[in-house]
Amino acid sequence: MQDPETKTKKVVEFLQAVTSPGRLNLNFELLNEPRSFTGESPAEISVEFSGPDVALLLARNGELLLSLEHLAAKVLRYEHEEHDRISFDAENFKVLRHQELRLAAEAAIERVQRTGQPFSFAPMSSRERRLIHLALAPSGLPTASSGEGARRFVVLYPAGGKPEAQTTNDDRAQVIRERFRRR
Amino acid sequence: MPQPHRTGEGDSADIVGLISDIARALVDLPESVSVESFDEADATVIRLRVAPGDIGKVIGKQGRTARSLRTILAAASMKLKHRFSLDIVENEAQPS
Repeated sequence: MQDPETKTKKVVEFLQAVTSPGRLNLNFELLNEPRSFTGESPAEISVEFSGPDVALLLARNGELLLSLEHLAAKVLRYEHEEHDRISFDAENFKVLRHQELRLAAEAAIERVQRTGQPFSFAPMSSRERRLIHLALAPSGLPTASSGEGARRFVVLYPAGGKPEAQTTNDDRAQVIRERFRRR
Repeated sequence: MPQPHRTGEGDSADIVGLISDIARALVDLPESVSVESFDEADATVIRLRVAPGDIGKVIGKQGRTARSLRTILAAASMKLKHRFSLDIVENEAQPS
């Protein structure tokens, strides 16, 4: 599709637009040695933010950081499954958040095995849900995702507790698309 | 209508510029992107218009791209202590 220089240039243009005077007060640095947080192939483009607005970036579980990452992925025309090719971070947020998610997964496994009741995680982005699914996999317990869009969350079931069928993605996408058109 | 907490002209212009820069990078037809702002009682509405074929690009699967744009507006709102909301509109067929 595009060569690495074109992609880098597009990301830099996007970041300059976001951080120019009167917008977000942030500095950004493209890292030469991209990091991988999922233990798979490292990201092609890795960006580290610093500056006065980092607190804003990391508020509400990094909502703004993840939003900028999503928009940059879309600017590069990455499809959903390619989103791991770009990674934005500030103050080790991703490392700390991923530790937190792994601990949450371990606690959930212990709890479901002890109580025999399903456990619902808090709503998360698709990448965070994937991390939870991966962390839960060694337990051998059934997992599923439930809820729509931003409110979608992972559920861990006890052994034999069967996840029920989901509504089809097409229906859901249609409903959500309408809802987001005007608000 | 009285405007108790009018924002400076510069603030709205910065936000319009921000949204239009991002939108132009997202769509296939950047020349069809237009952004305007107008003040309502307690907020400034940022109206983003894109070509009919590009509406999906600014809304995204499950509304995620639109939500990301709104998160940026929410952050800007916090910094400027004034609420900005985003209205996404599909351009009508070109009037003759």
